[in-house]
Amino acid sequence: MAPRQPHKTADADTLTPMPLRYGDDPLLWAAWLYYEEGLTQSDIAEKMGLSRASVNAYLADARTRGIVNIEIAPEKFRALSIAQALRDHFNLQDCLIIPTEGDERPLIARLGAAGAQVLRRFVKSGDTLAVTWGRTVLALAEALDHPGLQDVRVVQATGGTTAKIPWTPEACASRLADALKARSIPISAPAIVTSAEMRAMLMQEPVLAEQLAILAEADRIVMGISSLRPESTIHSSGFLDGGVQHAHYQDAVGSIVGRFIGARGEPVIGPMQERTIGIELEALRRIPQRIAVAGGVDKVPAILAALRGGYVNVLVTDVVTGRGILTAEGYRDTPRRSPPADPAPLTARSHVKKLINAPQDAVDEALRGALLAHEDLIAALPDSPRAIRALDGPRPGKVGLVIGGGAGHEPGFWGYVGRGLADAAAVGNLFASPPPGPILAATQAVQGGAGVLYIYGNFSGDVMNFDMAAEIANAEGIPVRSVVTTDDIASSPIESRAARRGVAGNVFIFKIAGAAADRMMPLEACEAVVRRANARTYTMGLALEPGSLLETRRPSFDLGPHDMELGVGVHGEPGVVRQKLASADESADLLLDRILTEMAPQEGDRVAVLVNSLGSTPAMELYIILRRVRQRLKARGIIVHKSLVGPYYTSLDMAGVSLSLLHLDAELATLLDAPCRSAALTLP
Amino acid sequence: MTAIQTANQASIVEELAEVIVANKAYLSEIDGKIGDGDHGINMAKGFGRAAERIHGKEMTLDAALLVLSDVLMSEIGGSMGPLYGLMFEDMAGALAGRDTLDAAAFSAMLNAGLEGVRGVGSAEVGDKTLMDTLVPAVGAFDAAQDQGFAAALQAMVAAAEAGRDSTLDLVARIGRASRLGERSRGVLDAGATSCCLILTTLAGSIQRRMA
Repeated sequence: MAPRQPHKTADADTLTPMPLRYGDDPLLWAAWLYYEEGLTQSDIAEKMGLSRASVNAYLADARTRGIVNIEIAPEKFRALSIAQALRDHFNLQDCLIIPTEGDERPLIARLGAAGAQVLRRFVKSGDTLAVTWGRTVLALAEALDHPGLQDVRVVQATGGTTAKIPWTPEACASRLADALKARSIPISAPAIVTSAEMRAMLMQEPVLAEQLAILAEADRIVMGISSLRPESTIHSSGFLDGGVQHAHYQDAVGSIVGRFIGARGEPVIGPMQERTIGIELEALRRIPQRIAVAGGVDKVPAILAALRGGYVNVLVTDVVTGRGILTAEGYRDTPRRSPPADPAPLTARSHVKKLINAPQDAVDEALRGALLAHEDLIAALPDSPRAIRALDGPRPGKVGLVIGGGAGHEPGFWGYVGRGLADAAAVGNLFASPPPGPILAATQAVQGGAGVLYIYGNFSGDVMNFDMAAEIANAEGIPVRSVVTTDDIASSPIESRAARRGVAGNVFIFKIAGAAADRMMPLEACEAVVRRANARTYTMGLALEPGSLLETRRPSFDLGPHDMELGVGVHGEPGVVRQKLASADESADLLLDRILTEMAPQEGDRVAVLVNSLGSTPAMELYIILRRVRQRLKARGIIVHKSLVGPYYTSLDMAGVSLSLLHLDAELATLLDAPCRSAALTLP
Repeated sequence: MTAIQTANQASIVEELAEVIVANKAYLSEIDGKIGDGDHGINMAKGFGRAAERIHGKEMTLDAALLVLSDVLMSEIGGSMGPLYGLMFEDMAGALAGRDTLDAAAFSAMLNAGLEGVRGVGSAEVGDKTLMDTLVPAVGAFDAAQDQGFAAALQAMVAAAEAGRDSTLDLVARIGRASRLGERSRGVLDAGATSCCLILTTLAGSIQRRMA
């Protein structure tokens, strides 16, 4: 099993990974770690991401505010130890326990508020959220107000019930959808129909089938747990009408999602099974996050059964109920003293291992290897070894396409030289623009009388050197136009777009340019379509570990063991914002949200996606990111025309990803689909 | 003495290269804080190669500066290649045909170098670039010229150092570090630092030869 990770919030504004069970109270967390787990103040400082002085102040504050009382074990601490025991014992993702006796509000209202707090923490943009019904679930929906998300869908987990109760599935779902500014999807059928035949017929209905298909895509579910006492939700909702049927359910101890379970969590199958329309227990267990909100001593057997059956992995309940569950499970209530093993800190790298010979030879040796590996596609110019030309592609009458930049971005730039892509690339030293010499040599070698187009990322060195080459070429009678790419949205605000860097989105821009030139479009037309492609390409990257230069073999910037850096450049330049390491999905959201905000696509628009490794992030992680990006784009109604995943534009051995989206129009889509053949990109 | 001969002075450029190569790691370290960390490596590569070509040859100072310029321009690339390449080319141009390097000649050389940088870069004083060193250094030399060559060189060195140190509290407005905004504050600019090394080394070499 993977070590348990502290939970992160989905909200970028609250970065402290405070475990849920401490509510919103850092004093409580600090006090718990110090007084209950016996951690030192400096350990706590590290864990909470604070200075040691702050921890000290927190503890003092906790004492003056009565959170810590040496005489009496406060209710809050009881709740904590129960939450921790439940979490450990049932292997829950998380658990929140509230005091049974609290303020004036009834327990159900307070459970609802706690459930809302939990949901706020977990629900993310693009989610499909299933919801059951009942008093507590409605209380949760009423307590929730979380309008900042995008593209959330709330779907009923079951069909409808009698309208005699106010907490029907429809009411719960629509209320929750309102609170999340989400789309509400009903299940347009009763939860219980009169016969199995009727159910079979209804299931044929396309509208219902479509709704159930959305339900099957749920990322998380919020549910109540019902006891089987006469006043319980499952009774009042009309699921158990008549003593005859009740006889079939004498082994049942509770109900979730309108289904019945026994004391060990096993499904109890009775005559209602074939008459129920809604999610089944097996399907419920496949939902990644299953949040149950339930409390009250009468529910102990039902909640315990649901926990034992694995139907719940986040539990919100109260102290008395929680303790009842633990007692019934035979758990002894002893306070913990020993601190849990913390994951060992990542070993600080001081000298990075590299497979090179002499640092000063690395660029040329790598280039020579690339030329040998792809000798059917590319070759160096005989008198300018850093100018790489395509063996197939350049021809009379065609606009010559010259790209280039520093080394260290392999397979950039030689990887994009070939038929249907660039005609030549000029390669500089590590992370340094090539000088004018090889750019000019490439220009002369591939020009076919129709002019030459330069495309390169916006870095001051590249601009100077390409401009100098262009000036000489123009003087020699070769018309040259330049498009300086600016896809990196993290590098400058939208008002100064022209100041942005050109990074991995170059892959799309090279592809569009190559196709335009291959179709023999004239220079002005090529330039115009490439400018449009650049304006419609958006990239944002994040780094987990800095890369390290060949000469120094040291990380090019410092990044703490639990941090990641957003908006990094492709030369090891530090990024724009540093924050706590987030999960793959949260990271994908951070990148995508920024991109979508600028791109502002309409439903039905088409995009191309590039999930790019910055060097050492493996394919596995890239695919996890792509999956989330596709999920989000689908939820937004955006069509993904093409997905590229891999190390297309790297930054030595930096760990991290960049996400690029090209907002396609009809012409760009056609050019993107055109055939090409190069070392890094081949399309049939 | 108030002047040196320009003939047979390739060793001045060799001394310059020696200092840049010796400061390779330092310059890269400064650059790594807000840039890509390769400034020292690229500078050392260019100056080192130029020194190899000059070594043991009988050359005037301007001829040696032209070799340095050629190497920087044609082999180094990046932004420092063109910036320093043009600076040294124009400095060499200002010395061409002069037998003696006195205060007036040095002033002409400095001003030509400054114009060379201005011709390719767009930075001004305050942008956290080598201009923060070069511009005040040239100004200080010219202002102190009437006090003699040696005094003017000293004034130039002081101004270059102050200019370099002024970048510590500046926010980068040009080049890679400019994307960092406020985070670039508190770190010296690598270009301003290497420019200061170049000017102080030049001054030291000339002063030793005048002594």
